Amino acid sequence: MTVSDTAWKPAAPPPAPLSTKSPKSRTRKSARTHGWRNVVWVLPAVLLLGAFAYLPLVQNLGFSFLKWDIYSGRQTFVGADNYVRMFNDPIFWKSLLNNSLYAIISIAFQVFGAMILAAMIEGLRSQRWRGILRAVYFVPSAISLTVAGLLFYFIYEPEMGILNAALDFLGLGNFTQAWLGQENTAIFAIIAMSQWQGFGYCTLLFSVALQRIPSELYEAASIDGVGPFQRFFSISLPLVREMTGLMMIVTVSGAFQVFNEVMVMTSGGPNNSSQVLGTWLYRSGFVRNDFGYAAAVATAVFIITLVLAVIQLRISKKRRVQW
Amino acid sequence: MRKSTQSLMALLAGAALALTGCSDGGSQPAAVLDPNAEPQYTGTLSILTKFGGDPLEPYFEDLASEYKKLHPEVSFDLIQETDQSIKDKTKTLTASQAMPDIYFTWAGSWANNFIDGGLAADLTPVIAPGTEWGNNFGESALKAFAKDGKYFAVPLYNNGKFMGYNQRIFKELNLTPPSTFDELISSCSVLKEAGYEPISFGNKDGWPGLHYLQQLFAYEVPAETLQGDFSPATAKLEDKGYLKAMDQFTTLVNECTGSGKDSNGVLYTTAQQALAEGKSGMYYQEILEFDSTASADSKLKQDGLGIFKLPAAVDAKGDPKAIEGSPEGYIINARSKNAALAADFMKFATNSQNAAKLSAPPYGQPSAVKGAVSTENSSVPVIEGIKQVNEASAAITWLDSVTVPAVADAWLAGGEALVAGTQTPDQVLASVRAASSAGK
Repeated sequence: MTVSDTAWKPAAPPPAPLSTKSPKSRTRKSARTHGWRNVVWVLPAVLLLGAFAYLPLVQNLGFSFLKWDIYSGRQTFVGADNYVRMFNDPIFWKSLLNNSLYAIISIAFQVFGAMILAAMIEGLRSQRWRGILRAVYFVPSAISLTVAGLLFYFIYEPEMGILNAALDFLGLGNFTQAWLGQENTAIFAIIAMSQWQGFGYCTLLFSVALQRIPSELYEAASIDGVGPFQRFFSISLPLVREMTGLMMIVTVSGAFQVFNEVMVMTSGGPNNSSQVLGTWLYRSGFVRNDFGYAAAVATAVFIITLVLAVIQLRISKKRRVQW
Repeated sequence: MRKSTQSLMALLAGAALALTGCSDGGSQPAAVLDPNAEPQYTGTLSILTKFGGDPLEPYFEDLASEYKKLHPEVSFDLIQETDQSIKDKTKTLTASQAMPDIYFTWAGSWANNFIDGGLAADLTPVIAPGTEWGNNFGESALKAFAKDGKYFAVPLYNNGKFMGYNQRIFKELNLTPPSTFDELISSCSVLKEAGYEPISFGNKDGWPGLHYLQQLFAYEVPAETLQGDFSPATAKLEDKGYLKAMDQFTTLVNECTGSGKDSNGVLYTTAQQALAEGKSGMYYQEILEFDSTASADSKLKQDGLGIFKLPAAVDAKGDPKAIEGSPEGYIINARSKNAALAADFMKFATNSQNAAKLSAPPYGQPSAVKGAVSTENSSVPVIEGIKQVNEASAAITWLDSVTVPAVADAWLAGGEALVAGTQTPDQVLASVRAASSAGK
């Protein structure tokens, strides 16, 4: 037993006649002592978080009220000017729309699609096949986003890419196009790659959630003559709702923070058609030398993701599963 | 809003501004390099180059190792970036105030940012025309990095943009280098009928389209108007020549390129490769690319690489003798503690031996040092390109570095829209005008 373990043991009650203090006051003192110990234990993490997460957040908020020339280092206070420009900037709204599309499609595929696939895999009788399929679907998630982006860039390449070659081979030559080079297809081509990449990871998490459901529930339902579809909707779906809530938060937050795949595949082009908030922020700062405006976009991203996360957390709290 | 929330918000906003603060920057007049300062041959020299990747990467590595043989106490920290990545890298290093002792620059607004920000050492006493070192360079190359009569960078090599063509294919089809824009378009149909891609073009990065546009603007917009339009303070962007040039560009994309409207999805290296492999008849490229396109093992090397200036329309209202291109150089950081050593290294890099090496294959970067490009060490297209650049009436700096970043970005998006056919020249010009007005 370690020293710290001992410290956490409740103190033995002192002999009554020797004590002059009431039991209530003793409890308060003990709580105060424990409270300070707790603070000491969490202090390093709080300090690190403060220095590397909250301080930059606050600093970024400050930068968003400035015009900042990185070459001369000159910073001029411009009030809410960057925010006014942002609300009047069509590329900001285009980026927001693209992020929203990303979120909607990701929820459809990576939450509900993955849940259905997980249920199908877990419904297989063969343990071996379940393992193989989980691994097969998970492999794309092990590839880095940058590598996956490059890989798909070559798949989508209009002249040498295998997607157009496959369409030609299948007699669907009319559908061939520059998937990343056309304004109306670029963002969807990127989103498709992202679904491929994240689908397996979500499936694996849903598989774990499904495995936690007691098998007696399914057995009882089967004895009562309930079919597989009804079992899914009446048992699986309600009992993985906590995981569903978590996946929604992760997926939606991820959709508003997307950056790597867009940078690698299109850099937000052509004609800003595949711009998302992350790449527009980057382009505003590092290409257009408008760091104050970039900070305003970053603040918008933070507020959007924070609000979405709080809403989803509140909803999922109400949907907690009690075993 | 509850009182406590209001107080918290006020506290947060106050803290945010206090933490960031406002400052008028550390901008000071650029440090002037003392011509008599003796370099201390110790310590580390950090250099940001644009020679990342094959075949250029070994050039600075070899320079560093040769210099180290002469001065063993000196070590190097080489940061080698590519043409695309150096833009982001430079901005990141600038914003974090971590610029190296020597760093790459384009001419125009790109270099002016560093000069105005006090990040470029004033090299006038050592490199101005008439000084011992300065006399080694062509005066126009030095002037590309001059501002208010002061000289701020060491020009390493010259550059210009030309249409490179496959001599065997042209001969086979009885084609000669076109001298007008209409002739160029006509030659495309001949190449197409013979089964070749007339002009290979990849605009994934956006700037290849800008290079066409800037050369066509120089032909179609009067020189004085064009120069005035580069700066938001004086820009009007109303000349009809812009619309005509953009029409010519879309005609070229639609009639001459194999990928046409799909070109935004093609890498420029893929287009370069098509010429190198003899699949396309032409590819618009910089002198810097000549030796890598026609590398020793390429089909193009056997077929022969010829070059000609992108031809202007017969009734062009601008300057049909201008060539797009400008020297590229290296700035010595005004805040460097090793400025004298950095200058000494750059003198070493531009001595006649190293200048000749730079101008020869596989590097093929035509040195800005006088006499470095010669029949003894440089390829025929490089010599011809430099000759034409020297004979041009004016050198027009790249569109993405001559104007302010927001306007350049609007041109870039507009160029992509023209390629895809989603905007008309009028719409593109309006969006650029809006970006320029916002930058006033």
